[in-house]
Amino acid sequence: MTMRASIGGVLALILLLGIPGFAQAQLSVVATTESMGMLARVVGGEQVRVTVLAPPDRDAHDLVARPSMMAALRRADLLLAVGSGLEEGWLPAAVRGAANPRIDPGRRGYLAATDQVDLIGTGVAADRALGHVHPEGNPHLQLDPLRMAQVAQALARRLGELTDAPQEQFLERAGDFDRQVSARLEDWRALVRDAPGMLAYHEDVDYLSEWLGIRILGYIEPLPGVPPTASHLRSLAQRLSGTEGVIVHANYQPARGPQFMGETLGWPVYAMPMEPPAGADGGQYLDMLDLWVRTLARQRD
Amino acid sequence: MSVSKHVLSLSLVAGVAVGTPLSALADDTRQGQPGSRFNPAISVILDGNFYDNRNSGDFFEGLEHARGFVNPHDHDHDHGGTEPGFNLGHTEIGFSASVDHYFDAVLTLAVGSHDIEVEEAYGVTRSLPAGLQLKFGRFFSGIGYENDQHAHDWDFTDRSLPYTLIFGDHGLQENGVQLNWLPAWPVYTRLGAELLQGENEGMANYEGARDYDSGAASDRNGPRLWTVFAKLGPDLGPDHALQMGVFGGKSRLHQNLHGSRGEEGETWFAGTDWVYRYDAGGAHGAGSLKLQAEYIYRERDLSVVGVRSGSELTHPLGERRRDKQDGFYVQGTYGIAPRWMAGLRYERAGMTNDPGVRSNLPADVDWAESERMTAALTWQASEFSRLRLQLAQSRLASDNSGGRDRFDQVYLQYQLALGAHGAHSF
Repeated sequence: MTMRASIGGVLALILLLGIPGFAQAQLSVVATTESMGMLARVVGGEQVRVTVLAPPDRDAHDLVARPSMMAALRRADLLLAVGSGLEEGWLPAAVRGAANPRIDPGRRGYLAATDQVDLIGTGVAADRALGHVHPEGNPHLQLDPLRMAQVAQALARRLGELTDAPQEQFLERAGDFDRQVSARLEDWRALVRDAPGMLAYHEDVDYLSEWLGIRILGYIEPLPGVPPTASHLRSLAQRLSGTEGVIVHANYQPARGPQFMGETLGWPVYAMPMEPPAGADGGQYLDMLDLWVRTLARQRD
Repeated sequence: MSVSKHVLSLSLVAGVAVGTPLSALADDTRQGQPGSRFNPAISVILDGNFYDNRNSGDFFEGLEHARGFVNPHDHDHDHGGTEPGFNLGHTEIGFSASVDHYFDAVLTLAVGSHDIEVEEAYGVTRSLPAGLQLKFGRFFSGIGYENDQHAHDWDFTDRSLPYTLIFGDHGLQENGVQLNWLPAWPVYTRLGAELLQGENEGMANYEGARDYDSGAASDRNGPRLWTVFAKLGPDLGPDHALQMGVFGGKSRLHQNLHGSRGEEGETWFAGTDWVYRYDAGGAHGAGSLKLQAEYIYRERDLSVVGVRSGSELTHPLGERRRDKQDGFYVQGTYGIAPRWMAGLRYERAGMTNDPGVRSNLPADVDWAESERMTAALTWQASEFSRLRLQLAQSRLASDNSGGRDRFDQVYLQYQLALGAHGAHSF
């Protein structure tokens, strides 16, 4: 019967093409965001080949599971995700479509950054009437170099388990990253010591506020993930009028609300990068943080 | 399914849904395991609409009598219950979880006003090597693009004309097994084959043995239907995505059993599906574009196998006919503003529409084509709720009147999603 013939054909194809004919020297790491990709490059060095799924100028909440993501995940040895629900709208579908058991959550080929550190914003009510909340904790940790250094440590241990290369090598690179961060920490904090604080768009600057010691004066969004309303902006303007501050929003967030507040309050408005540029190394990541610090310190050229 | 029998199971389902705190679901995501501490991830989608149709009466009645596409089950259908006025659509309740190291399982129930239907209930392997995945149970076939999407994933309120006319109200939904293979190639390639029971009303209708005054319809064990499909998705960078697919299937038995005569024979279908997406990167879908098109062709090679005395003259025993139809749709959606999406869809069926025997209707080819034009405006209040206004104008070739009947339809639809987030596949 033709049915039997076609099944035989499929099986023959699998035998012919399904077995990888060559050993791969480099570990294939797929990172969901550019900051995660940066960590993989910094810690993995020559031993890894890194593919990043989300472009740096996009909201990682809002992506679509593209076929090319599945092709990349199919060949991945390690999936480095942010976690805590950030990618829940697309990553599970992409992983499901990739037919690669190595990178399933819970396996050694899956590492979520938010599982490696203590998060802020945990224990909020899991009620969507309160906006797009993440009861697991705030996932936007990429602007926190201290937590990123902790993630680098965890990644180093995992890479040590997944490759034949000595683990010390990865731990050493993670330690270097940690030292680079520490070297600039005090200068950064000193820069913003007298800064008035920021009016942010979304809860994606909460970690920055915590480690840098700078106040968040309010959010343009009335609730996380809910677009600004006129009444909310009016009440913000009332509360903040006559004070000083800086307005910041991610470069992918709509500029209208921030611009309106800037004109009303007479504050400067900046569209900021939330991720380092594509293919970034540790230096470019620290440069991005430096830009944030100088912006908030009102010391931008 | 009877009403009373399912009141109990419905309340059980509701109890489970309410009794599981959502925070428990969320907690476990932190452990890297979507779902919850051994409890399945639960999602509920409420769907309802205000509906009206004008001009030639009931649209769904017209659809059942679309020339060339009259299916055996059409006459006892309730049109999904859509009538002018307020309608409660199917409430979709989904459960999914990892069973163990080897399997994931998914259950999707469609709860109507009077019945519960198992839309999908399947297991899928987690650990097969070499990019292989095996799915088994009841599921929407992987053919084409629209077929295995649930109603809440559609960009329009209703299923497209070619799928409805060729496969029926549920698309190709069957019990069986599906083998998927994703080779480790740089270009996304997915190859699949399915072995299915063969109960689809349009392509593999099965009623079993039946005696006529002369001749008889035959009995044949399943599986009676198989399909194959291939999808290809080149990497066009982060802003563009394209997926192209071809698919086909063959049934060993399709039965058309009327009181006066019974026809049966083999059928086959083939088609192609195309999806292109442009992601503009604007807030909440602003500026993003999605284009989608599918074409399906089918042939049914049917012979008269049984007739009641007195009907031999109109349909002699052994009379054979090759019944051919096709259909396509093309649709596009565009994010006109953050959270606002406008869509247009054009559908046409019966460009090929040949019943294979001389018919008592005039042989005017124009009358054999049905078409519909649809416009929709969707407001995504958040990821979890949407409201949609949809207007459609159609001309359906009618088997009854022999002409083309015009229908105007309007839907005002809501969809509300509770529970697990549910990632959308491409």
